[in-house]
Amino acid sequence: MSVSPAYTCLSCRLKTLVVSAPRTSRRQLHASASYAARKPSFPNVSASKMGLLPQDTGPSINDSRIKPYSENEKALLAKKYTPDQLEAIYAGETAISDEDLRTQGRARTDPMRISYFDDFSKIRPIIDHPAEIPTGGAKEEDVGKFLKSTEPVKAPAPTREAPSRQQVAESTDPRILRLSQQTGMTPQQISKLRVKNLVNHRVVNQTRMGKIQSLYFLTIAGNEDGMLGIGEGKAAEDEDGRRQAMMNAIRNMKPVPRYEERTIYGEVEAKVGASVVQLSARAPGFGNRCQHLIYELARAAGIQDLAARTPRSRNKMNVVKAAFEALMAQRLPEDVARARGRKMVDVRKVYYGGQVY
Amino acid sequence: MSLVNLSHVCSHLQNASLARLGLTSIPYTRLHLSLCLLLQKQGFFSSVKLAGPTPPLSSFPPNAELALPQISKHRQPPIARRRTKPEDQTRETALVRMLTEGATPEALKEEGWVDEDVTWASLHAARSSHSLEEEGIPISAMGLEIPSQPLSLPPSDPSDLESTVTQSNRASRRLWLGLKYWEGLPVLRKASMMSKPTKRIWLNSREIGEVVRGRRAGEVKGMTQVGEVVAVSTDRGVMEARECAERKVGGMVLCRFKPESRSRAGESCKTVPRRLSSEQA
Repeated sequence: MSVSPAYTCLSCRLKTLVVSAPRTSRRQLHASASYAARKPSFPNVSASKMGLLPQDTGPSINDSRIKPYSENEKALLAKKYTPDQLEAIYAGETAISDEDLRTQGRARTDPMRISYFDDFSKIRPIIDHPAEIPTGGAKEEDVGKFLKSTEPVKAPAPTREAPSRQQVAESTDPRILRLSQQTGMTPQQISKLRVKNLVNHRVVNQTRMGKIQSLYFLTIAGNEDGMLGIGEGKAAEDEDGRRQAMMNAIRNMKPVPRYEERTIYGEVEAKVGASVVQLSARAPGFGNRCQHLIYELARAAGIQDLAARTPRSRNKMNVVKAAFEALMAQRLPEDVARARGRKMVDVRKVYYGGQVY
Repeated sequence: MSLVNLSHVCSHLQNASLARLGLTSIPYTRLHLSLCLLLQKQGFFSSVKLAGPTPPLSSFPPNAELALPQISKHRQPPIARRRTKPEDQTRETALVRMLTEGATPEALKEEGWVDEDVTWASLHAARSSHSLEEEGIPISAMGLEIPSQPLSLPPSDPSDLESTVTQSNRASRRLWLGLKYWEGLPVLRKASMMSKPTKRIWLNSREIGEVVRGRRAGEVKGMTQVGEVVAVSTDRGVMEARECAERKVGGMVLCRFKPESRSRAGESCKTVPRRLSSEQA
């Protein structure tokens, strides 16, 4: 009976076996190659490499632009500003760190932004107040006056108009005053807006102190002439939450594109959560035949002919948000035509002498 | 006419614009070619070029230096074989001979070229070399005219020989499509099939009229979105539905192209899916 020269335990023997065995890849369960292994058979060229997309630096200020003034620039500035003003400018610019400028200095993207750069220091009569060009039998003086009038004039310094006594009396609430300053609307205009609370319910936050309940409000605001906004508010007090929602709605008002100032352009669809809202344009006289929430939105925006479907969830909050999203997501036919490089004519403005509504 | 391949083309176009591709290719068939020419006419594509497995130089803008190394990486050696047989007497060859060898129309006619081809060739040979280079020539492929294709002069640029279809390279031809973008967003956002490979839908001219007016015709939904285009395959070639309604022609509705897809919350931030952002769509 022979004794084995060296005893190795079973697990050790297995280990060597496993190591010596050739490594085989896992069995492929799918016929197609894994994503990493797949490569396009034919090359594709990205639009950014072909220069078709706008440069991605976007509205943030480019690093190269944050640099100290050169002597030449300082001399130019000195021509325009007094020494005191210059000192203030330098002090102000050193006070803002480069990092802040890089991360937060962004151009406006809101719908009311101005499409050109201007410091509004001058009034240019041709652009700001189009002057009538003298024709035919105009005297020399008129022509001279016109030419003189086309030269840029220094704009008056902006003054904050003190609200009249009547306005102050009506709006003693400082919040309304602040809102009017933020939106540029007078308290009277604000009071004429169509504001309606559409959703309110109680929400609860569970903390270790117990359940903390507050009230949630969703409000819409519109001027019944193409401006619409929605706002949310949440507070422990009913009155507080309502006011928050209303103010947010007024602050968020944006222009809604309207076809013939009565309906929308084509068919739009938007989705928020599980709610899908489909809005479609209708003929004159159709009316706002849609559910009450969308009806209120349409009425506040000044839309008269609209059909809507909510095929999926009818959660009130999400339906209102999706309908707002859909109204804002409209594509204008002019934009589509320009993008495709085609000419477009609205024949409704051609037939019947344009008297169609 | 395989609708399976057309479905692939539709989804490929949609994916390509999601991935913000500027230039992509699809297989070269008669159906694809006629559909692409329709979409180019409608303004969805900036260019439609016939070339081999690598994109032709003529589909790049003049200042696209960034894209060129990428192409040269893929570029394959030009096909050495050239057509020299007498039966290859096409009008393009006649034009090339007129430009390179200075052959006169009379000489070509004596060699047995068709009068029509010779007249066409002499018409284009009279154009300035600059206009030939910039605008290209219309070539006829599968009975269709493809406008502004690069003129291939074999001795000067052998790599552009790819745009000539020969017996040996016929199967490797592809259609190179230039996609368009407007204000950072794709012009073509949604492409979907209406007829399916297993269920083709034919509409007569009256029904197509209903669809064009935004009303439903059977199971076909109306064209209700702004800038929607429906391609219809008729006996007069692939046509847009509005043109079909105008000419009172019916046919098989192929697919629908839309400049807008469903808007979602926060859509305006214009994000590109990260995985698709490379050239792997």
